[in-house]
Amino acid sequence: MSAELAHADDVALSHDAGHESDHDHGHPATVENNFLGLPNIKLAMWAFLGSECMFFGSLIGTYFFYHGKSLAGPLPQDVFSIGITSISTFLLLMSSLTMALAVDAMKLGNKNSARNFLLVTALLGATFVGFQVYEFSHFVHMGLGLSTSLFSSTFYVMTGFHGGHVTIGVIWLTMLALLIHQGKLNTQRLPVSVEVAGLYWHFVDIVWIVIFTFVYLLEFIQ
Amino acid sequence: MSQGHDAHATSHEAGAVHSHRGAYIRLGVILTIVTAIELALPFLKDYPEIWNPIKPVWAPLLVVMSIAKFGAVVAEFMHLRGDRRVYQFLFMSPLLLAVVLFPAVGALSVVTFRPFGEGYASTAIDVRSGYVAPTKGPALEAPLADEKFVLAFNEAKGKNFEAGKKIFGEKCVSCHGKAGEGVANLGFNLTDNCYKYGSTFKDLYLTVAKGQNGGKMPAWSASMKGEEMRQVVYYIKSLKGSNAAGGQPCVGDQVAD
Repeated sequence: MSAELAHADDVALSHDAGHESDHDHGHPATVENNFLGLPNIKLAMWAFLGSECMFFGSLIGTYFFYHGKSLAGPLPQDVFSIGITSISTFLLLMSSLTMALAVDAMKLGNKNSARNFLLVTALLGATFVGFQVYEFSHFVHMGLGLSTSLFSSTFYVMTGFHGGHVTIGVIWLTMLALLIHQGKLNTQRLPVSVEVAGLYWHFVDIVWIVIFTFVYLLEFIQ
Repeated sequence: MSQGHDAHATSHEAGAVHSHRGAYIRLGVILTIVTAIELALPFLKDYPEIWNPIKPVWAPLLVVMSIAKFGAVVAEFMHLRGDRRVYQFLFMSPLLLAVVLFPAVGALSVVTFRPFGEGYASTAIDVRSGYVAPTKGPALEAPLADEKFVLAFNEAKGKNFEAGKKIFGEKCVSCHGKAGEGVANLGFNLTDNCYKYGSTFKDLYLTVAKGQNGGKMPAWSASMKGEEMRQVVYYIKSLKGSNAAGGQPCVGDQVAD
């Protein structure tokens, strides 16, 4: 495997004209840069995350717009289990840390370490999704279906879309770790590839930070 | 959380690419502590002597902690702090728009579309069944919009309640009495403030669905649909505190609310 990686390095370096000049944030010049001199893929990810703010903003806003207006129970206080949700919340938060460490390791060129951190991140994310599946099935057992009430519809759509994002992230990170392991990615591009995956992952985490506080925790203050 | 950059400047070799590992781990520890403080909340509720004094500050504190965590992850983990302006612009402008726009739309709708506003979320049935606290201010003013909707809204609530009452009359009265007052050696009183197996929707629903007291209370999930169990629980909740005549003595814990 190391021979392959070395080969990939050579190929990448031979095309690398402006590598020396760029040490701003460790973006090698072989990544397709745009007219701003920035990697297109990173710019696109930030633009996408901006649109995601509006997307999740509308879902969370809708949840609160209909909060307390359900015709039939069970209501949030009846079904939420803070103990279980806090465990999954903590796991997702820690996955942000391991993701940041993966990006850091990749920038230093430590592929094995980056791969391992990516796998740990994906595993934590998968566990979060597992908790959500358990939570949803528990709620359905309590008689809370998708169309039971305003609460159930807005809650499932909001948290379901978030869970979908986590699932996509888990697949993405696993594939990335696999490709790094096989040495199939352009070594010069790897730091940006991992960084962009990290941006997506951190965003999914901050959406949950908001949902957990505003939907779950504040429910218990009233 | 701003110590990150200063720290790596001193503790790491300066180079083309430098590690933020130490700063990341520090931030991870801080985020863990903040999360632990947030999670202490539900458990503190069981200790009124601690809970009551801090109760008014918890909600704003939770919001502040959430925003701080959000900001820390964006600034440090996502490295937006000190990154290019164009990234900051692309992310921050829609974020601010979302933060301003959605609450504004929500507030506006409450004003212009009265059925979802205060006064109409709670009907008499809601209040009786313990689902919604009575609204402050003048209750049930004349609707500002969509009279038909208000009627449909209240009718749906009424149907739920009536369906639960009917099911109670068919399945529950033989052991719990016609008014829910209970029958000696058969079923507990449902009209006092004592609930041996809990009085939240969740507790009541699980008691109905899974049975209790060694099968004396049967598991109704075998013969009732989830929808029906939900409706009957909706009705049972309305009985609490009605103290029907000839009620059986209190069994279990006194429930305050």
